[in-house]
Amino acid sequence: MDDSYIYVIVALLPLAALILTVQVNPYHALVIRGILGAVSALVYAVLGAADVALTEALVGTMLAITLYAVAVRSSLVMRLGVLKDSLLEAEQKLELALNDAQVSQRSFADLVADLRTIVSQYHLRLELIPYPDPQSLHQALMAKEIHATCIQRSPQDEASIPQSNSQPYHTTTRIHRLYKILQTEPLAPMTSLDYITALDSAEKH
Amino acid sequence: MIDVLSYVCIGVGIVFWFWGTLPLLGKRSVLFKLHSLSVADTLGSMSIIFGLLLKIPSEWSLLVLALISLAIWNTVLGYVLAYCSSSGDDNGR
Amino acid sequence: MNLVLIIMILALLIPIYEAWQDDDIWQKMLAFASIATKTSVMILVVSVLRDDWMIGVVGVIILSVGNAGLMLLAHIIKRMGEL
Repeated sequence: MDDSYIYVIVALLPLAALILTVQVNPYHALVIRGILGAVSALVYAVLGAADVALTEALVGTMLAITLYAVAVRSSLVMRLGVLKDSLLEAEQKLELALNDAQVSQRSFADLVADLRTIVSQYHLRLELIPYPDPQSLHQALMAKEIHATCIQRSPQDEASIPQSNSQPYHTTTRIHRLYKILQTEPLAPMTSLDYITALDSAEKH
Repeated sequence: MIDVLSYVCIGVGIVFWFWGTLPLLGKRSVLFKLHSLSVADTLGSMSIIFGLLLKIPSEWSLLVLALISLAIWNTVLGYVLAYCSSSGDDNGR
Repeated sequence: MNLVLIIMILALLIPIYEAWQDDDIWQKMLAFASIATKTSVMILVVSVLRDDWMIGVVGVIILSVGNAGLMLLAHIIKRMGEL
C-alpha cells in the first residue's frame, strides 16, 4: 500500500487526545493541548486540508492556549483579605526572624505559607489583599470582592474565648468548598475557621 | 547521484533526531535535555530540509525560508526556554 | 520515502511518551517544542513527497509561528511560578 503512513499518523490523534484527557493539573493540560494541536495540524495537512491545518496551528494552538493560560491563571486564585498591619508585621518578621525574641511563637508568615501549600494542592494560587481595618474587611467579604478573611483576635476576644490562646488567628470564608478544603487540612493550631453565607446583594451584574 | 546524496542527508537528519530526542527519556536536568534537544534537533531538521531541497530544487524559495526560520527560531526558543525554566526554579528574578 | 516517514513517526512518539509520563511542566514544554518542530518538518516532507506547493507553504508558516506561540506560553508559565 502506497499510503500506509497515513493510518499511522491519524492514529497519533486519538493517542494525544487520550493523554490530554487524563491530565489533572490545568497547566499540564494546556501544554498537552499544544501537543494535540501540533499533531492535529500534521494530520490535517497530510489529509490534504491545508487551510484547516493552518487555522488549527494559528488559532487552536497559539491563540487559544495563550487565552486559556491567562484565564486559568486569573480564575484559579484564592483571594484572602488581611489587615494592612499584619501584612507589614509578617514582612518585618521575615526580615528580623533571627534576632526576634518571640520567634518561638508562630507568626503570620508561617500561617500564610501553610495556606499557600494547602491551596496549591488544589492548583490554586493565594493572593493577599490588604485592607485598613476589620470593618472594610468584612464589607469586602460580603460584597464578594474576596473569598476569605484572616484576622488576628483582639484582646477582649481572647478573654472571652479560652481556647483562643492556642489559635491566635480567625479565618472566615464565604465559599463552602473552600471551607471544606481548609477544614480537612492541619491548620488547626494556627487559626479557627468559620463559614458564613454572603447574601446576594441588590446590585447584580 | 544527487538522489543518493539527498537520501544520505535525510538519513543523517533522522539519526540526529533520535540522538537529540532519546536523552529526553532520562532523569537529567531540564538544561541538559534542552542543550541536546536544541542542538541535535535543529541540525537534524536542517539536514532533512537540505535533503528535500536536493530532491526538489524547484521549491527552493520555500525550503530556504524553512531553513532560515528553523535556524533563527530554534536558537531563540532555546534561550527563552532556558531563561524561563531557570528563573522559575528559585521563584525569583 | 514511506519508510522515512514511518521512522519519523517513531521519533515523534518519543517526546509524546515523555510528555505523558513526566510531571515537571518544563519537561513537558521541552517535549512540546520537540513535537512542534518534528510535526512541521514532517508536513514539509509530505509536501515534497506529493509535490504539493500549498501544503509546503502551510508547513513553513506552522514552523515559524508555532515557535512564537511556544515562547508566549513559556513566559506565562514563568509568571505563574513567580506568584
